[in-house]
Amino acid sequence: MEHANTLQLLLTLACVAAILGTIATARKGRQLYVRRIPGLQAIDQAVGRATEMGRPLLFSVGLGGIDVDTLQALSVAQYVGRLAARYGTRMIVPVVEPVLLPVAQELTRDAWKAEGREDAYRPEDVRFLSGEQFAYAAGVIGLMSREQVASTFFFGYFYGEALLLAESGLEVGAVQVAGTPATTQVPFFLVSCDYTVIGDEFYAASAYLTREPTLLGSLIGQDISKALLVAAILVGTLFAIWQGKENLLARLLGG
Amino acid sequence: MAWRKALVLYAIYLAVALAAGGFLIIFSSPLLRFFQPIKGAAGDYRFWLAIAGSVVFWVGLFALMHRLPNPLKRRIITGATFLAGLYYVLEYYLPGHNQVLFFWRPAHGNPFTPLKQSVGYATMVVAGFSFFLAAINLSLVHARNLLRLRSGWYNSLAFFLAFIAMALFGLWSSYAPTARFGGLAVSRWHGYLFQEMYVPLNATMFSVLAFYIATAAFRAFRVRTAEAGFMMTAAFVVMLGQVPVGMWLTSSLPLHGPLSALRVEVMANWLLGVINLAAMRAVLFGVLVGYLAMSLRIWLSLERGAFFEQEL
Repeated sequence: MEHANTLQLLLTLACVAAILGTIATARKGRQLYVRRIPGLQAIDQAVGRATEMGRPLLFSVGLGGIDVDTLQALSVAQYVGRLAARYGTRMIVPVVEPVLLPVAQELTRDAWKAEGREDAYRPEDVRFLSGEQFAYAAGVIGLMSREQVASTFFFGYFYGEALLLAESGLEVGAVQVAGTPATTQVPFFLVSCDYTVIGDEFYAASAYLTREPTLLGSLIGQDISKALLVAAILVGTLFAIWQGKENLLARLLGG
Repeated sequence: MAWRKALVLYAIYLAVALAAGGFLIIFSSPLLRFFQPIKGAAGDYRFWLAIAGSVVFWVGLFALMHRLPNPLKRRIITGATFLAGLYYVLEYYLPGHNQVLFFWRPAHGNPFTPLKQSVGYATMVVAGFSFFLAAINLSLVHARNLLRLRSGWYNSLAFFLAFIAMALFGLWSSYAPTARFGGLAVSRWHGYLFQEMYVPLNATMFSVLAFYIATAAFRAFRVRTAEAGFMMTAAFVVMLGQVPVGMWLTSSLPLHGPLSALRVEVMANWLLGVINLAAMRAVLFGVLVGYLAMSLRIWLSLERGAFFEQEL
């Protein structure tokens, strides 16, 4: 069985302390600066386009189950859903995991309710297509083509179907915004989508869109954690250069 | 004030967790037996009794949860999330058998590790419930298409035929493998549907990817800016380094020494293994720290947004 070594524990504790510390600071009311992220800025524009064209938009949360990536994608879906509800635009949410279906339905219903448009909510727009990767991709491609969607959003964890979805969205002329932590799929989204949110920008989405102090604080904590990790790499490299692989630091930390 | 309240709450949860940990260490072997999956034959009444008992217990628990006032319900959810997360934290960060944490080497290994599989089974059971909901949703959408004869209604008909045939022959071949239908064994029918229809259809979808990669590559490699030019050159070298003709172009250069760096395959490997890998790892660092931050927020119920709107 896998267990952490001392170094992993110390680094995790340092990152956790940094994140919780900045969340506490942000909740006290300190103003925090977040740089502009064009991909997230484009969400409003993409929803607006669908509204102007009177066509639906499509939001795919990827192939993940109920995990951190999908929860992050769902929080973006809720933001997009609220915008869509406000402007009276349909939002189609195809899901691949059965467990996600009630969650996505509840979430979109809440978005419509929050905007006072519960009467316009269409539960059939949240659909379970298939639990299989390429059957799901075929289903989404069919939906995009039949419904002639004006905008597509691909947020979540994607695998080989990423390019199939993005290229098909391009073919129907949709404005496409994508965000994924899957580094192998980012190049495909970059080529086929109008805007792509890459790397940790994906996890910054909810903070950026809602400007909630807890989330903004966490975002700053992430940056401090990254600086700590870079410092750890530099210190480790110096020790390795100085004393070789079996250096003092490695021995102290248990390898 | 909110922070103080949250700290008190987490102190209570931690105390409960420590008590539970102590309990686990003392009673780990009887607990392990209790949480093991029960395997039984269809005729074994104890097997069915255990299933019925579990169903009654969980239905009762959910009914009780529905009747509780919202603040209490939220507090229970927060506590359960914290305790469940704490299990995995302790399981991973406490040292295992023959491992050392600082200068501590536990004599009997990590008490939480033997329960890991059972906790995994519990998660699978919860996910299993939702599969039924998905089948209902899919059937409702397609039934509506059929009844109203919407455009493409024949696709919905195909769905029902495929769904019924696959479920029927799948279950039939599992429970009565020797049964026959239309002169063929039911397992053969299932084989036709799965191996000869489903698998090729899946492979067809995958093969379409090759054409999409070609069109996407065409768009990516249009040189409009200096950056695009750099990318194009790097991609050209990497592609050339993967094919025999590319390697042949610089085969006259020595395999060792300073000039070997000019061989196409060496340049391609350097681009992939140094430049590209460094960038990928940098992105991955950011992604994993983001993952950690979000996990932490969910574990401590600090998350906001979808499902997490309400302050505790």
